Amino acid sequence: MISAAALAKRVAPVFACFGLLAVWQIAALALKNDSFPTAIEAIRAIPDILGDKEALINILASLRRMAMGFGVAVLVSIPLGLLMGRSRAVAALFNPLLMVIYPVPKAALMPIIMLWLGVGDITKTLVIFLGVSLPVIYHSFEGAKAVEEKMLWSGAAMGLSAMQRLVWIVLPAALPEILTGCRTGLVLALITMITSEMIARQSGAGNILFNALDMGQYDTVYAMIIIVGAMGICLDAMFERVRARLVRWSEPQFDLPLSFS
Amino acid sequence: MTSRLVPMNVVLGLAPIALVIAVWQGLVSSGLAPASLLPPPGIVFGRLLQQLVTWTYQQEIASTLFRLFAGFAIAVVLGVGIGIAAAANPAINAVVRPIVRVLAPLPKVALYPALLLLLGFGHGSKITLVAADALFPILLSTYYGASSVEQKLIWSAMAAGTPRYEILFKVVLPAAMPSILTGCRIGLVISCIVVFLAEMITSTDGLGHVLVTAARTFQAVDMFVPLITISLLGLILNGLLGVLRSYLLRGFPEA
Amino acid sequence: MSDISLTIEEGAFVSILGPSGCGKSTLLYIVGGFVSPTSGAAKMKGKTISGPGPDRGPVFQEFALFPWKTVLGNVMYGPRQQGVQAAEAEGQSRALIEMVGLKGYENFYPKELSGGMKQRVALARTLAYHPEVLLMDEPFGALDAHTRTRLQNDLLNIWERDRKTVLFVTHSVDEAVFLSDKVVMMSKSPGRIRQVINIDLPRPRRRNELLLDPRYQKYVVDIERMFDEVDETGSPL
Repeated sequence: MISAAALAKRVAPVFACFGLLAVWQIAALALKNDSFPTAIEAIRAIPDILGDKEALINILASLRRMAMGFGVAVLVSIPLGLLMGRSRAVAALFNPLLMVIYPVPKAALMPIIMLWLGVGDITKTLVIFLGVSLPVIYHSFEGAKAVEEKMLWSGAAMGLSAMQRLVWIVLPAALPEILTGCRTGLVLALITMITSEMIARQSGAGNILFNALDMGQYDTVYAMIIIVGAMGICLDAMFERVRARLVRWSEPQFDLPLSFS
Repeated sequence: MTSRLVPMNVVLGLAPIALVIAVWQGLVSSGLAPASLLPPPGIVFGRLLQQLVTWTYQQEIASTLFRLFAGFAIAVVLGVGIGIAAAANPAINAVVRPIVRVLAPLPKVALYPALLLLLGFGHGSKITLVAADALFPILLSTYYGASSVEQKLIWSAMAAGTPRYEILFKVVLPAAMPSILTGCRIGLVISCIVVFLAEMITSTDGLGHVLVTAARTFQAVDMFVPLITISLLGLILNGLLGVLRSYLLRGFPEA
Repeated sequence: MSDISLTIEEGAFVSILGPSGCGKSTLLYIVGGFVSPTSGAAKMKGKTISGPGPDRGPVFQEFALFPWKTVLGNVMYGPRQQGVQAAEAEGQSRALIEMVGLKGYENFYPKELSGGMKQRVALARTLAYHPEVLLMDEPFGALDAHTRTRLQNDLLNIWERDRKTVLFVTHSVDEAVFLSDKVVMMSKSPGRIRQVINIDLPRPRRRNELLLDPRYQKYVVDIERMFDEVDETGSPL
């Protein structure tokens, strides 16, 4: 049984979606601007895009690269972050380097990496990888740093080696924080993907957006915005469900994403 | 102990940065990477210094900074305002919460084409994009900070005769300050990144535009220069905010 | 809580004693006006309490000092809120800080002080706006035993000067007997008043004399026995 309050909580975002679309509809009707179609016109254009085989293949290829970049970044970043959190030396080694990389716009590396590696999948995946890594490292680091020292002492007393303590104590204890980082990373993967496609203008969702813009197909532009927005919201919602299951034991968190660093 | 540890940490920390530069130099010197693709670090940093003193380059930096600060300022005002209001008032909370839930994970950069159509190719669309991207981390951390203010802090102030509406400014806002500043810090770096990307996607001036222009003519050196400039700007602004933070939070533990 | 009926005379030092979970803090919060009772009413001088006010000053176990203000800033907050001019408020506050034994710490931030010192600041901050009643919610509960006895002594000395009404929540029997004119014993779930005990011990009280006084010892032993009984009615084990 779902309580009324819980039900309201689930339905509220759906209402918010409709509300935002309604605001859009009214604004478009009021402005009567050629370059600002109504929400309904934009939604009508969605099937055209998704029905277009080439566009669909493009979008799916984008998503595949995103999944690759995200997956590899998570696999590399979590161990690195955990090691940094538990060893002062490792932290001292990597912190300044990460601090320098932190403000670099990752998607802006696209033209440079393109120069080196061409416009292939590797370039695009690499850029996404770079975009995702930092928040995951950072949150894993913070999570591992906050692990109760006495929990590790208990582990050591039970005869666990340093490596075993990292895997069996630090990893699960830091999991809520790690997953917060992964959630940020997932949204960032999508953002980096779209942005780098907008910059490279070769293929993918970001390219479709700007091609339509150049050709004056305004309803396609807005339809594509809805598609990309929906991807973001769906990915986040899916991840949130996974997260909630994995860390059911942890203190209830705010159900809003907390950081997008 | 610490006096010996700190320089030790500095050495450790500088090592990977030095290593990156050494590998970079090594790749060029050994001929593995042609200088046209990967210019040696000395030339890149020399070019950076040379550019920094030219009037045209300073103009580019100025327009980037203008968009950055305008967007960031809007994000701070809206983020802190809405965040505090949502934490203080259940009715506002009920409206804001689901909207934020929907809009926060939305990749704001996808809105950029629409902003271009609505606001034109000038400052307006870029400032709005920066504001939209920096808004949510600031809003969320303000909300988080304001809604976890220790209840007894508020009671203490109320008992001392503070009216309800003043509690917001005299207790909730200062008590949420650490969290707000964390959000601002994230928002500021995001602003730096977004303004640069927006300028890369479409612009006629600004640092991002400089990179794109260089990329079109395959001038590798000139591609690195604006990228390093924006990253340095990010580091400097982040440092300045850090100074402001430690001043504002001098009373808070662990600040 | 149910069926609580309690009247407190002006100038009395009254402790509320009971096992954890009996609602003794809630009772204090109701008097403070921080929470409203689900039924019934709390009255002060015949007027129903509808919210917090400077006539009732709380001191919390958690200190609840404003971390962004210095010691002086914290103590001055109340008078300034009451509309006292800055210079005057500062003078009064400095005097109060000296009275609680923290002269020289005016410009320190709370994070730089020990627990006992923080609680002294919290007491000064509350006294600064001259409440008629002090509401103390296990104020010494977070302090170590030594600091605790020192603060008890100092609180009594300060109290002797103007004998404000004090409502003092605690779960320590000897603290209640040492400080109070009257101990209100509460029982666990549902929170009720079990008994009200008058403590007839002479004032001013000196700790070293009192500990040897058989009357004091009897109070402590009797109340402790009662404490065990009320605690047991709450748990079937």
